[in-house]
Amino acid sequence: MEFSRRNFIKFFAGGIGGTLVSPLPWKLIDDIAIWTQNWSWVPLPGRGKFSTVNSVCTLCSGGCGIEVRKVGNRVVKIEGRRNYPVNQGALCPLGMAGQQILYNEGIRWKAPMKRVGPRGSQEWEEITWDEALNGLATKIRGLRNEGNPEKLAGIDGNHSRSTVALLIKRLFDAIGSPNYLGMPREEDTHAMAAFLMQGTNGPVAYDLENSDFILSFGCPLLDGWGAPGRMMSAWGQVAGDKPSTRPFLAHIDQRASRTALKADQWLAPFPGTEAALAMGIAHVLIREKRYSKEFVDDCTFGFADWFDAQGHGHKGFANIVLKKYSPQIVENITGIKKSIVIELARRFASSHAPIALTGRGKGLLPGSVYEFMAVHALNALAGRINKSGGVLVAHDLPLAPWPDAEYDTVATDGLKRERLDRAGTPRYPFTRSLIHTFSEAVNSSQSSPVDILLISSANPVFTIPDSKSLIEALDKIPFIVSFSPFKDETSLMADLILPDHTYLEKMEDVPRPTGVQYPLFALSQPAVKPLYRTRHSGDVIISLAQRIGGTIAESFQWNSFEETLKGRVKGLYQLGQGQIAYDGSEPVWKRLDKKSGLTPVYSSFESMWEALRETGCWYVPSHTFGTWSEIFQTPSKKFEFFSSNIELALKTYSKGKSLDDALADVGILARGDEVYMPHYEELKSRADEKEYPLLLVPIELINLASGWIGNPPFLNKTLFDHQLRKDDLFVEVNPKTASTHGLQEGSKAVLKSRTGELTVRVHVFHGAMPGVVFIPLGLGHTAYDRYLKGKGVNPYEIIDPTEDPLSGQSVWWNTRVTMVKI
Amino acid sequence: MEPDPKQERKGKRDGWIFFFAGLIGALIVGWIIFPLLLYSERSQPLNFSHVKHGPESSVGLDCEECHFFYEDGTFSGIPGLKKCIECHEDPESLYTDSPEEVKLFTNFIEPLKEIPWLVYSRQPDCVYFPHIAHVKMAETECRVCHGDFATNHTLPVFKVNRLTKYSIDIWGRNIAGYRKNTWDRMKMNDCAACHKQQGKEHNNACLVCHK
Amino acid sequence: MKKRDSAKGARYGMVIDLDRCTGCGTCTIACAAENNVSVLYDESDKTRNINWLKIYMLTNGKAFPHTEVVYLPRPCMQCGNPPCVPVCPATATTNDSDDGIVSQIYTRCIGCRYCMAACPYHARDFNWFDPAFPKGMDRYLSPEVSPRMRGVVEKCSFCHHRLMSAKSKAYFEGRRDLREDEYIPACVEACPTQAITFGDLNNPKHRVSELIKNPSAFRLLERLGTEPKVYYLTTKDWMRRMADNYLQGESKKEGNRPEKKNG
Repeated sequence: MEFSRRNFIKFFAGGIGGTLVSPLPWKLIDDIAIWTQNWSWVPLPGRGKFSTVNSVCTLCSGGCGIEVRKVGNRVVKIEGRRNYPVNQGALCPLGMAGQQILYNEGIRWKAPMKRVGPRGSQEWEEITWDEALNGLATKIRGLRNEGNPEKLAGIDGNHSRSTVALLIKRLFDAIGSPNYLGMPREEDTHAMAAFLMQGTNGPVAYDLENSDFILSFGCPLLDGWGAPGRMMSAWGQVAGDKPSTRPFLAHIDQRASRTALKADQWLAPFPGTEAALAMGIAHVLIREKRYSKEFVDDCTFGFADWFDAQGHGHKGFANIVLKKYSPQIVENITGIKKSIVIELARRFASSHAPIALTGRGKGLLPGSVYEFMAVHALNALAGRINKSGGVLVAHDLPLAPWPDAEYDTVATDGLKRERLDRAGTPRYPFTRSLIHTFSEAVNSSQSSPVDILLISSANPVFTIPDSKSLIEALDKIPFIVSFSPFKDETSLMADLILPDHTYLEKMEDVPRPTGVQYPLFALSQPAVKPLYRTRHSGDVIISLAQRIGGTIAESFQWNSFEETLKGRVKGLYQLGQGQIAYDGSEPVWKRLDKKSGLTPVYSSFESMWEALRETGCWYVPSHTFGTWSEIFQTPSKKFEFFSSNIELALKTYSKGKSLDDALADVGILARGDEVYMPHYEELKSRADEKEYPLLLVPIELINLASGWIGNPPFLNKTLFDHQLRKDDLFVEVNPKTASTHGLQEGSKAVLKSRTGELTVRVHVFHGAMPGVVFIPLGLGHTAYDRYLKGKGVNPYEIIDPTEDPLSGQSVWWNTRVTMVKI
Repeated sequence: MEPDPKQERKGKRDGWIFFFAGLIGALIVGWIIFPLLLYSERSQPLNFSHVKHGPESSVGLDCEECHFFYEDGTFSGIPGLKKCIECHEDPESLYTDSPEEVKLFTNFIEPLKEIPWLVYSRQPDCVYFPHIAHVKMAETECRVCHGDFATNHTLPVFKVNRLTKYSIDIWGRNIAGYRKNTWDRMKMNDCAACHKQQGKEHNNACLVCHK
Repeated sequence: MKKRDSAKGARYGMVIDLDRCTGCGTCTIACAAENNVSVLYDESDKTRNINWLKIYMLTNGKAFPHTEVVYLPRPCMQCGNPPCVPVCPATATTNDSDDGIVSQIYTRCIGCRYCMAACPYHARDFNWFDPAFPKGMDRYLSPEVSPRMRGVVEKCSFCHHRLMSAKSKAYFEGRRDLREDEYIPACVEACPTQAITFGDLNNPKHRVSELIKNPSAFRLLERLGTEPKVYYLTTKDWMRRMADNYLQGESKKEGNRPEKKNG
């Protein structure tokens, strides 16, 4: 036996033969084929039971109903609820991508954190909640012991009517600090205009669905305004109807926005001249006597010329408008042909239920008070106030008030001190909060007048038009506490992080979602248990108050946030009216003037609460129209074309100086009686038009989150490559403007304003008004993760805001720029 | 030199020995060693006895008690822990003296942790299999695919393919893929053959079973 | 391979009303969430990113302010005569099911991308990279659709898994027939303006079979003979012309619906 070559071959042949008749090769081929299908790094979705949780989206204050789809204990998808009255199944892109906000580990704070390195070094140490809250309570007690409770300040981005916002405000009251600031919103401007003309402070309630002529002064109805689900659903319900039976939409916009594209008529006046156009329409209504004589004569003040108590003669609104806003003059100001102005006015007047509305952007940015008043004046002229299909005068929900907070002497003394932002003082008499004057106050003092700053549900470093001065102020403030669940620009500047849950992990309320015309209380449910060591900010505030002790602890005698919320909801129960369920058959807006369906089906508060948790809504399918004398709370008890409140405020402010000086201070260009009336104010930029020939207008896109919530990765999928390419953001420029500046599609260019410069790329777009550069808001993050950070630029870096006359809010759409190709 | 015929015969015989050595070696490798190498054994978290729970037992549970359809038509193949707790609620009063029951309490019920059962018939992720179409609509018996599980006192050893990570029961316990009973193998071809046999060849369109 | 008889069984199709669509992108996101579509760091790279339902922005090119823009959502057309199917060397994409949906089996796909070259609608995307989900986000993946691996082609399936779930639910209730609203793809359900209608084109009771008779209904590149099952509606004439690459001055040929002037 020798192991020769020949025998080796035989052995080998036997081996091959044996292998071939064994399962080895055949099984291996099969298995390897399967192996190539199962790379271990391809994620395998977990299995589990399918279930759903009914909740409400609280990413904005729209209050859309959502159905959270779950597999096991994981959220897999979010869908709009057809059985929810606000949105009837519709959801905006951001709401649809909510699971990415919950599960993106890279952007979330997972536990309370203490800064250990120098600010900005991003060196953090995880601490316990006890440690974090005790430390903060001690610091706040320290301020109070020194008698300086006002050195605690807060910036709160929560919906101003929400329970969390009220809790935070209550904490400030109990501690004794007046420096509680709400983030600016469009609603502030609405509230101001409503207060000045109607004396009411209620929420905005546009009965759009019942209107047959919607005249929108730049209000981006289909670009994310109000409750986006409601608006898009409403559009979908009428879009298929014949033009003769559906509401006519006239939209005023400088750009072919989604709303402008769907409008029956699109008008493009020069930016910032919307008020002049409104006054032009008012002129035609008055000249042709097409206004509602009944309403104007009986229910308004200041329309005709009059003599006041001192015997001074005043020019009425009618005469001023007739003199100053002829269609020709309006054409000169706005660029809209006078024939179009006249036609539009006639159409407005002859419609059965016309409505005029304003608003810029999704609702996170303030507007201009005189402009809002000018547009609202049209509603008054047409007699559309508190009429079906018009602007309803709404009231806050009858939520049960909490027992009054307890104040000790430190608190009462502290609350008497002037607010740092001077909001509510004679200089800014009607404004709730002002971030930029707050920053100025901090920056202009030797040492920071604020020792502790609490920031909740807001990312002002990114979303404030004048972020530079705020960043400077934050640098100066010794101790910043952030409640943000996200590693956003603002929380990265903080010293202590007390992370909140994300919206899918907590219960939250949205009393009266923005713009919805009937009383509705939306309540969200946690869809999953908190993923990380985070805590509900409501619970944190209560716990903090109790740790501070004294009258502050006495003011917060609750065990949990849920208890405080439940306590408020009792008020809804006690009203004895309202519905908990919506079956989707008949939209609520169709039944507003019927007095049906008011009787509640629940018999006890507990059963109501259980049902409310299940359905997420309580609403009254009716509007109380009331009598005029109850509705208008102005000094004249009428709708005021001539605002007595402005007159009063300016009188107070001009004490000791001339009225002209006061007006110059407040930034009002008009003189005479017009000051107190809706009118067109030219909002001039501080920059020289020759040096900066172009106007930069930031725009908000419905598929790009521009608020404090960072844009989730899914939304990046929907951006066109003429909006974002690699890290370059595109601005929209008209072909004419592009050619005069030597720009082509895709050109890189430097945008330069008085305050800074940005590098962008150019998208040449016929739908952009010549002379204007449109730049999307929402990109240019320096925080968050790789999916967002460093993409695009933030327009606010070069916005050169001026103050809106009277309100002092930032005017963010009149920055002048140059654009140079590079 | 003339070759020695004896030598030659011996050489040929030797050659056959080598050939058969190779052949037998390969057969041993292919039929015995390869399967041992290919599969690794894993033990179930608990040794569940169908017999002790089933309709014939003193407990007397119907099969549908655990293996039922939800209202959306999905199938509760293996019930969740909640189902176990319905009966096994009190750690102080055990039904048996089995250590498995103690394990059930200490490892799963007390920490409220779902039992990570190893599923013999788990199909690849790309497969969609609706029980309801087969069991309710086509009236297929459970044992056609799963065999006589209900008569098991102990759970079979769970073997997992090291390459594919699938259970051995997909390919079948027979390494040659030999199939005596309908439940011996669960490969795609078996599904297709059965569909064809039942006159439902249209259900062999790709998307019917793949997701 | 057996050719499907399109008259038999269901023929699911979609009608997208472009006059209603605002191009908001909710459908794209609903689709991505429903179908475990992966996310790139750089989603602006439109040659590499994956969108089963992509929205195109088309404009009439007229000067301001006469500019008109149409947003055109484009899912897979689920052609009756799909050009992608015969070119597939691996039989990974077929058109043999009872519902008219063109399949794409990821585990069978070999990544040659012939189908992508064949598809005139660019409805197919290739996985150039391993499927990526930002850290922690694999937790929202749905078990109803299997995630894809690098090197395979994927495309819209009209949410076929929803058809299967709807069938399972019907079976539970002892029915074999589905109601019109029981099987709806995720994009259709998500569209906030209800611009998309979905149903069985073979079923005269379904709204889609009525809508496609509308004179303003059209399909993309009809002249190729692919028989798409996605129809569009618009009153904008320029958009309808754009849908089929007509030469300047060329009018619509036979086989297409006669041009109707819109008011």
